[in-house]
Amino acid sequence: MEDLTSPPHELRGASGAVEYSDDALLRQFAKGDAVAARELTDRLAPRCLSVAMRMLGNRAEAEDVTQDAMMRLWQMAPNWVPGQAKVSTWLYRVTLNLCVDIQRKKRPDSLDDVPEPEDGELSAVDRLQDAARKDALQAALAQLPDRQRQAVILRHIEELPNPEIAGIMGVSTEAVESLIARGKRVLMAIMVERQDELGYEDG
Amino acid sequence: MNWGTKMADNDMDLNQLFAQARQTRPELPDDLAVRILTDAEEVRLDRLKPAAPPRSIWARILDGLGGWQSMGGLVAASAAGVWIGLSAPGFLPDPATIIYPQETSFVVADLGLDTTFLEDAE
Repeated sequence: MEDLTSPPHELRGASGAVEYSDDALLRQFAKGDAVAARELTDRLAPRCLSVAMRMLGNRAEAEDVTQDAMMRLWQMAPNWVPGQAKVSTWLYRVTLNLCVDIQRKKRPDSLDDVPEPEDGELSAVDRLQDAARKDALQAALAQLPDRQRQAVILRHIEELPNPEIAGIMGVSTEAVESLIARGKRVLMAIMVERQDELGYEDG
Repeated sequence: MNWGTKMADNDMDLNQLFAQARQTRPELPDDLAVRILTDAEEVRLDRLKPAAPPRSIWARILDGLGGWQSMGGLVAASAAGVWIGLSAPGFLPDPATIIYPQETSFVVADLGLDTTFLEDAE
């Protein structure tokens, strides 16, 4: 059992030998410790931002989702039951749900987001090719179904173990494995298809 | 990279892309960190505000009746009712005759008195 009588920042040595769990920090925050909020933000907010960026492909939206997800963490803090689940698992789930909400709202207008080609400038196709070359993976991820995209991002970019991904997505570990395998197959198919369209060169 | 080669190569290339993506994960920008911590501070301070003291049952009943002002009106109306009941002003009929008119006739008849004045009145 961790000693929670002192604020965590006082007990952290320079070597980081004593490190509080997210659970303990969240309890400290619920008790009124502002330093715990800073530590939780350092640990968890970058993960939210990373997942949201890959899910949405839009920096401003990803930042808003991150702020919103962290706000829900602060509000939830007094009701958190330690040991029931990992704080990061809860936060990943909230982040993914917020991303899905944004995607649902955007979907009917998604065609409007594609800029019209202008005379004398790059055509829309050229611009898409340029963007895709910059981040071929992002372009391919955007074509995956939501659940496959979530599973692939959590496994291969966030490097989470499958049981944790199962907890985040609320499915079995076998279902996660299946989603990842299908997602990767689709990604490879998209890459092969795009290779000619985008004019990839070897190397 | 060439995606037209064998499946194993494709898998390797895909893994390379994942590795690149992991290396280019976005760092938390300072302004976003400030926004997040400002939210945290607001929530924290809000939670630290002293809770309102528990209110007594009488205070809550008083609130239900509309506070002290309406309570004053209620007391005045009740007092007026009691006063009218106990000593009715001359221009008002005697409450007893309104409530028990028949019983009054009975009492008078039982006493064997002349009650014709009552019949005349009717």
